[in-house]
Amino acid sequence: MAAKGEEITVLNPNARHNLGVAIFDMCTIRFEGSVGYYAASMLDGPEVVIEGNAGWALGENMMAGKISVSKNAGASVGSTMRGGELFVGGDAGARAGISMKGGSLIVAGNSGFLTGFMMQKGRIIICGDAGEALGDSMYEGTIYVGGSIASLGADATIEEISEEELLDVLAALRDHGIENKRSFTKVVSAKKLYHYDTLERLEKSAL
Amino acid sequence: MGEQIDGDLVIRIWTENVQDISSVAARSEETVRHAGGVIRSTSTLDQFLRLVVNYQGEVADLADALIKVPGVAIHSIGTTSEVIKDIGTPAMMDVKHGVGEILGTHGIGHVRMATESRVDVNHAHPFWAYPFPDITVVHNGQLTNYHKLKRMYEDQGHHFQTGNDSEIIAVYLAGKLAEGQGLKQALRSSLDDLDGTFTYLVATKDGLGYAKDQWSAKPLVTMETDDVIAIASEEISLRGVFAEEIERIEPQNSEVMTWLL
Repeated sequence: MAAKGEEITVLNPNARHNLGVAIFDMCTIRFEGSVGYYAASMLDGPEVVIEGNAGWALGENMMAGKISVSKNAGASVGSTMRGGELFVGGDAGARAGISMKGGSLIVAGNSGFLTGFMMQKGRIIICGDAGEALGDSMYEGTIYVGGSIASLGADATIEEISEEELLDVLAALRDHGIENKRSFTKVVSAKKLYHYDTLERLEKSAL
Repeated sequence: MGEQIDGDLVIRIWTENVQDISSVAARSEETVRHAGGVIRSTSTLDQFLRLVVNYQGEVADLADALIKVPGVAIHSIGTTSEVIKDIGTPAMMDVKHGVGEILGTHGIGHVRMATESRVDVNHAHPFWAYPFPDITVVHNGQLTNYHKLKRMYEDQGHHFQTGNDSEIIAVYLAGKLAEGQGLKQALRSSLDDLDGTFTYLVATKDGLGYAKDQWSAKPLVTMETDDVIAIASEEISLRGVFAEEIERIEPQNSEVMTWLL
């Protein structure tokens, strides 16, 4: 349905599931109302704007593009996303950015239980408070929290934020009209659960 | 166990074979009379029997007598609530059982996608907390300590009507309420005592509540105004209740909430 450069407006989405999935053309899609599960998932290129709430797994496996939801996102927002930018204007549910592999996930409000669980790359910015077990078993990537952290997950640790990084975070927020946040706590992997060789078995035998 | 009731009780009974319904009805009536109850009305609809009785004794005694009648599964006994479960769409349920005509303050419903126990009408939700009147539960999830809990309750003499793990939530909560806990307290206790994944709703005579497990494993969203509270797994279900734009709340891990009349 979507073609290059088009602007599409979807009226009365009525929180239905699987809307705007697997679209690879550069276009703009605007949902005037809430969307259900897996909205704008497997996206590669488009810009998606949702005026309302999103159900579970908004922007799941996004490769590139932009998604913004004006209100709250359900659980697993941005799960396994590899690139692009996902902005949540309200709160995010549990397991936000689970197994994230790249890109930026920005939450203007609070974020739920197990945010950044098994995160492998990319950046999560939470302006409000983070729920329990933040960054549990994360491998790589960075989480920035503007509010309080209920608890850190296994192998997640707090690291000093550099001025350069802070400026980057503030610049990303400014793009969404958020100017009031000035300090962030940075959470990364302590890498104490790292028991991996850097090479695959076949790669090693080739040496 | 059980509660002293003055006044009319509605008993909802289901039997597997439709040809048995008249004998099940006759023997159920006889059992109620034998227990000291007075039959106010009897109605049947294929496999379903609905009795309105005046009964002054212990509901547990009546329930225990009724389940001894061959072919009887009790879907509910209550003074203010009735459990209606069947196979079909919600629209069909409305046409067949007149669900839309029932007036009341609160109700819970469920569409089952069976994962573990038997697939029949009896194993569908809601589950009534046999033999406690007016306590019913709908549940999404799997309880991993179900068999352990079930053995514990059976050792205490409790009778389960199904092999469905969700039935035990109703029984668990009824037990806590009978011990004198408030509804919210009972829901909180369940977060520790039930293992596995669950989001469930409970309806009692004067209350409604939800509990969500520590993993936030199962979905739940709510919308509330001064007059109405609507709770569902997905927002699409709530959109039919409210025409206007209402704030959607997604409860988080280990959250419980109750509303009391």
